[in-house]
Amino acid sequence: MAELHIIGQLVGATGFPHNSLFCKWGLNAGGAWRLLSGSKQGQTQVDNPQTGDTAYWSHPIDVHYATKGLQGWPKLHLQVWHQDSFGRCQLLGYGYCHVPSSPGHHRISCATWRPLGSWREQLSQMFVGGGPQLRSPDIIYSGADRYRLHTEAMGTVQLELAVILRNFDKYGVDS
Amino acid sequence: MASPSAIRDKLRKQRRSLQETLGKLKREGDDEQALFPSSRLSEESLQTTMRDAQSSEEDPGETLKQKLRAQRQMRRKRLLEQISTQEFPADDVQELASARHLSEDEGSSKRTTDLQRTSLASKAPKSRASQQFDRFVTRRLEEKLRAARSQGESLQRQEASEVDASRLRGLRDRTTVTRSDREVDSEADSSTQPVPQAASSRVKFQESSKCVEKERPTTEEAYNFFTLNFEPEPEPEESTSGKSQKQRKTGEDGGQEPEEAEEPSPEQSQDRNEEEPLMQDEDGNVFVIEQTSKDFVEVKSAEYIGLRALALRHRALVYTPSSQTVPISVKLPENVRPRYLEEEGLYVGERPTVTSTNENILENRILKMEEGAKWFGDDGRIIALPDPIKESSTRPPLFHMEDDLDPALQTVYRKPLNSRHVQQHSTDAADGVAEGRYQLDVDVSGLIFAHHPLFSREHVLASRLAQLFDQYLSRQRNNLAEHLTDKLNGLRNTMRNMLEIHSELSLSQAMQQRIVEYSVEVKNTRLLRDGEQEKDRMLLKSLIKVWKELKALREFQKFANTPYKLYLRRENVDRQSDERQYESDILSEVWELEAEGEVDYQSKLAEYKKQLGEWKAWKRKQKSKKKKRKKKKGQTQDETEEEDQEVSESEGPDEEGPPKPEPPEKLDFEVIKQQVREKASRIRRKPGEANLIPELTASGKISEAELCPRGELARREDVARRSVFIKILYNDKEVSQTNSRMLTSDFRVHFGEIFNLKIVNCPRSITLQVFEEVGSSCLLLAQVYVPVPHSSVLPANASIEEFEFSSNQRVMFDHEGVGSDVPLSFTAEGSDNVILLTSGKVSCCVSWGVDEDDVPLAPPMSQHPSILHGGVGPVDAISHIGSSGDTKKISEWAMQSRLDPNDPKNASIMQLLKVASSGEVTAPDYFRLEQLQEEFNFASDEELAQSRRFRLLALRNQEVPEFRNYKCVPSREREVTDKVFQDYEKRLKEGEIIDTKEHLDSHRALVAKYLQKIREAVIHRFLLASHHFLLSDMVIEEEMPCFGGAHLQRVPDRHLRDGGAFLELRNPEPIEMTGRAELLMILGLNLFHLAEPKRPLKPQRKERKKVTAQNLSDGDIKLLVNVLRAYDIPVRRSQSSKAGQSQGAIQASDWLISQVQVRPFVEVSFQRNVFQTTTADGPNPCWNEELQLPFRAPNGDYSIASLQSVKDDVFINIFDEVVRDIGMSDKDKDKGKTLHTRVEKHWLGSVKIPFSTIYAQSRIDGTFKVNTPAVLLGYSKERSSSNTGAYEAMQSLCQGAFITLFITIEPQLLPGESIREKVGLLTCRHDDSH
Repeated sequence: MAELHIIGQLVGATGFPHNSLFCKWGLNAGGAWRLLSGSKQGQTQVDNPQTGDTAYWSHPIDVHYATKGLQGWPKLHLQVWHQDSFGRCQLLGYGYCHVPSSPGHHRISCATWRPLGSWREQLSQMFVGGGPQLRSPDIIYSGADRYRLHTEAMGTVQLELAVILRNFDKYGVDS
Repeated sequence: MASPSAIRDKLRKQRRSLQETLGKLKREGDDEQALFPSSRLSEESLQTTMRDAQSSEEDPGETLKQKLRAQRQMRRKRLLEQISTQEFPADDVQELASARHLSEDEGSSKRTTDLQRTSLASKAPKSRASQQFDRFVTRRLEEKLRAARSQGESLQRQEASEVDASRLRGLRDRTTVTRSDREVDSEADSSTQPVPQAASSRVKFQESSKCVEKERPTTEEAYNFFTLNFEPEPEPEESTSGKSQKQRKTGEDGGQEPEEAEEPSPEQSQDRNEEEPLMQDEDGNVFVIEQTSKDFVEVKSAEYIGLRALALRHRALVYTPSSQTVPISVKLPENVRPRYLEEEGLYVGERPTVTSTNENILENRILKMEEGAKWFGDDGRIIALPDPIKESSTRPPLFHMEDDLDPALQTVYRKPLNSRHVQQHSTDAADGVAEGRYQLDVDVSGLIFAHHPLFSREHVLASRLAQLFDQYLSRQRNNLAEHLTDKLNGLRNTMRNMLEIHSELSLSQAMQQRIVEYSVEVKNTRLLRDGEQEKDRMLLKSLIKVWKELKALREFQKFANTPYKLYLRRENVDRQSDERQYESDILSEVWELEAEGEVDYQSKLAEYKKQLGEWKAWKRKQKSKKKKRKKKKGQTQDETEEEDQEVSESEGPDEEGPPKPEPPEKLDFEVIKQQVREKASRIRRKPGEANLIPELTASGKISEAELCPRGELARREDVARRSVFIKILYNDKEVSQTNSRMLTSDFRVHFGEIFNLKIVNCPRSITLQVFEEVGSSCLLLAQVYVPVPHSSVLPANASIEEFEFSSNQRVMFDHEGVGSDVPLSFTAEGSDNVILLTSGKVSCCVSWGVDEDDVPLAPPMSQHPSILHGGVGPVDAISHIGSSGDTKKISEWAMQSRLDPNDPKNASIMQLLKVASSGEVTAPDYFRLEQLQEEFNFASDEELAQSRRFRLLALRNQEVPEFRNYKCVPSREREVTDKVFQDYEKRLKEGEIIDTKEHLDSHRALVAKYLQKIREAVIHRFLLASHHFLLSDMVIEEEMPCFGGAHLQRVPDRHLRDGGAFLELRNPEPIEMTGRAELLMILGLNLFHLAEPKRPLKPQRKERKKVTAQNLSDGDIKLLVNVLRAYDIPVRRSQSSKAGQSQGAIQASDWLISQVQVRPFVEVSFQRNVFQTTTADGPNPCWNEELQLPFRAPNGDYSIASLQSVKDDVFINIFDEVVRDIGMSDKDKDKGKTLHTRVEKHWLGSVKIPFSTIYAQSRIDGTFKVNTPAVLLGYSKERSSSNTGAYEAMQSLCQGAFITLFITIEPQLLPGESIREKVGLLTCRHDDSH
């Protein structure tokens, strides 16, 4: 039984139209994977950068998986939210990336997007906030036919992940 | 800085001198050859002079200059050597040499100044402005030179023009040829280049200018530079002049101008060379030239070339293809006719559209090219690929985005949410129920009472009648009897047919089997039919009976309360055919019965015969035995008496064993017939009797109120007072209620209200509560549980269902109302009592709602497993079976249950079976979610489950108590032993077994188990909750000391309370990590504290920083015990009272001891650590000592829950230190006396403080009563010996010793909420209840 350790952090985010960002994250793995320890989802604090537009969270991720197969390699999905001056939260972007499959330290920048509503929704988004959100957030990481979805590019989320593999070579997976 | 006019003057002078020099130069050109040999010598002398100049000047910045100069001279030497060695036209070399000579010979003083200038130039940064300026100057000078050249040329022409021309040519040649291989020339060349190149590269220019400094060009070169190179490119000069003008201006504005102006450019220095003779006389100021823009700027008109001229020029250079159509003959090779592939029937793709003019232009152009013809195809047109543009766009249009978007992709516009709400959604949980998108429509249409306390007798009968009629109608609808009769007839016919066909032939085994099966079937069906017919008959009879009773009652009471009327419609039948049918029916039944009887008889007979045979055999045996016995008896008369007894005993039971079987009775045909007839007359309509069809109508009239007696009136009034409403409860919470409706005389209430319930929680139950309202008081009649509909149930396909309810409340009235739960009799003598309970039916309909777009607001099925179990709506069971694909089972079942293939009810199953049997339905017997998962698995699930290490890790992660603080999980599987799990598994096992031994009775054991479960659940919840943090848990606002010194103020310096907590964040509230400036206010407040008096002698305990117990380890926590003082410690009794003590030698010490009342010290013990204070004197000692006791949490678990459960106590014991003399040692008698003393500690009392208290209180500060034994041998209260004053008397009330302590934990820990107490409380309460 191979094991996979993911140790890292959600460093921060850049390029978002607003400050005061926080991020909800989750790890999604296939049926062959078993979470041994660590939490596979979480939420960062709200970071409001004083200078520059990079929000730093430095949110730790520490997960230990055991697996009996390669299918469904863990995926990390993110939702970047913005907390405005009234304390309201609105979605700024969805993003997703695979956990790197090679051992070692990885810097990942995960581009995010958000759905674009109709012009009316965009207008109200501009004035009163809020915005369209996916009904089912699992299509962030599932490959539904998204070509009908109109989205808008948002910023990128920086991640640093260290991956430790164990016993994969026993099963013929060269690492 | 000199005035511009002065500069202008100087410039003019320069120009003049330049001209003169030039003239001179030309003149000197003649005697160059003579001068050349001495050039080297002169140069050497020059060097020395230069050195002199340097030393005299003593400029500190000269070192650089010196280097430069040295380099330059070295180079020059080399160059000169080169020149001499390389065979060049003698003219050139001579010229060069002469020029150098000229310049260098002009006087050493000039040279020095010149050098100064160059050094200046090298020193000063070559700013852009200066360069531009230089260039400008150069050009001006060049213009002058041009004039001079013309003069010179004329002069030369006068002399030997031939030689001159060749020389000039040679110079030019040289510049081209030697550019790369000779330094001098490259430098000279670069010095000639800068002006045209300046616009493009300034850096280059700088370099070149440096080079120029190093290598001063000869006059000839300078001349060439000025005369030759600029002619072909006049335009760049213009642009540079424009630029220089601009930059000049900026330089003036900038104020740096003077220095820049003073910088002499290399060009200038070259010029100076030429004008040096004139400059000699002037002072040094001359070289500080200050110039104005006017001196450099020349206004020129824009160059314009007329259109026509331009066109003409272009015509020579540019070819413009015409847009005329090219004749085909030109495009094709000669004598070739165009060939059109299309006409030949070959497919030719559509060409991309190009306008004809463009095509013509292209063709014309191509034709002009070499091999132009190859671009043309056979048809004389340009070869082209087919049009690549697709007719329709590949990407579908996005006009109607919302319409048919995949529901998974649909977006919802969400208003910005407050953080509280945001928290509820988890990232990956698609818990749609929580989003409130679902809607349940509850349609409460009405209510019918089957019985109500206010029913009159007539109502009771009427409702019974109505019920019976309903039953009749439903039976009529099903018409089971008819159906069964048909079936029976069908079966009989088949059987008869079969028998007829095969009557002559001997029946095969299979046939016989079938016939037997058929006859069994017939029998069963007949029985069923008889039952149904009987029921029908009975129903009709009771219907008529009730109606008769009702009529009788109405007649009796002389008024009518109900409108029901029963009509019996007679349907006359044809008597003869009816009789015939009846008879034939009976006959066939009799036949069948007879046949069955026959079969039965045969089997019984066979049985009988068998039994009889057995019996006979037994009998025979018996007889033979008896015979034997008789013989025996004859032989031994005496002995056999006993034996006989035995035999008779043993044979006794045998005789009773097989009784003699009765022969079966042969059934009598007549008897059967009689029986059948009796039955038929009982359950069936008599032949010829009219078919009675009852019809119930509500057409009757209800009697007016005035016709009714008093009791009835009261009842009616009571009915009118009452109203009914229904409350709707969703998940046991009231959500809505209907309007209350008046109860009418027919006890039917119509509501007709639809309630749309927007659902947030998963539906568990929908309850309707029927309330009766009398005046202002409400009475709950009954509750009706409505099943939650299947998610496919929508308003369109939902049907109204009736749900029965009843209540067992006893209601009695003094009027005509019959009441409820009251015995009621309709017979006059009071027998045949019935007890009626309030009951009725609510008709309602629950379905999932739809929104405006007809999208069902129902949850997907998988989310409600409870619903699937509970309320299954009208679901087609067969389709469900079919969908499961288990056709084999269905066919088996169909075989077993002998489905009637002709029954329309079974049509779908038959269809399915047919399909299944004919077509190969090869559905896999399983469904896999993740395909190919198994094929690629490394290991099986079992292996994964067996791994002890993984199990250990997972259990630790789940925070199972045994493993919660398991620190080191081994990295290898084999290092994890099964022992680790023993405790855990044992606990799991014990969880199921209830041990009754430990408790008095089993009930207690159960309760204890239950409590244990609750405790675990609470602890689990607490653990879960401990991962959820509030802002105050995570952020600490540091306190900052302010002016007050001892006083502390809150300051908004926030930081995380505990790093460890932050690492464990699961779903925190969004925290803002920015501080807020509230400093001003605090400052204002603190000003007041300044006025307060300072009390340095009154120390106060400061508030310390609190630490959550998470990132702590052993040894981090210490218990601080500050023992301050004690009061009223018991004192030793006077020694005199002690008996058995030797007087004399000890007297002295004894006296001393007796002087000491008591010498107490305090010993603090905690977790096996013992610390003690120093010893103090007297009954009121003051120690004021601080003891630090290390603290270790159990299992190294420093979480709040664990700390709360620490059960250790702090023991504070007070001892008296007694020094006893144990006498002199005998050994040392000769050497002298050694006194041996023994220190004894006498326990006086103790105080016990539990750690949990300290933890909960975070500190303990106060005076405690010391627990002293009632009698302390050898000690007494001090008070007794001292004088007794009023104060002492007061004190004596509170007896005992006291100790003042201060205990706290270092560092200060955050006390958590005490769950343990709650659980404990619960335990107490639970115990009380039992």
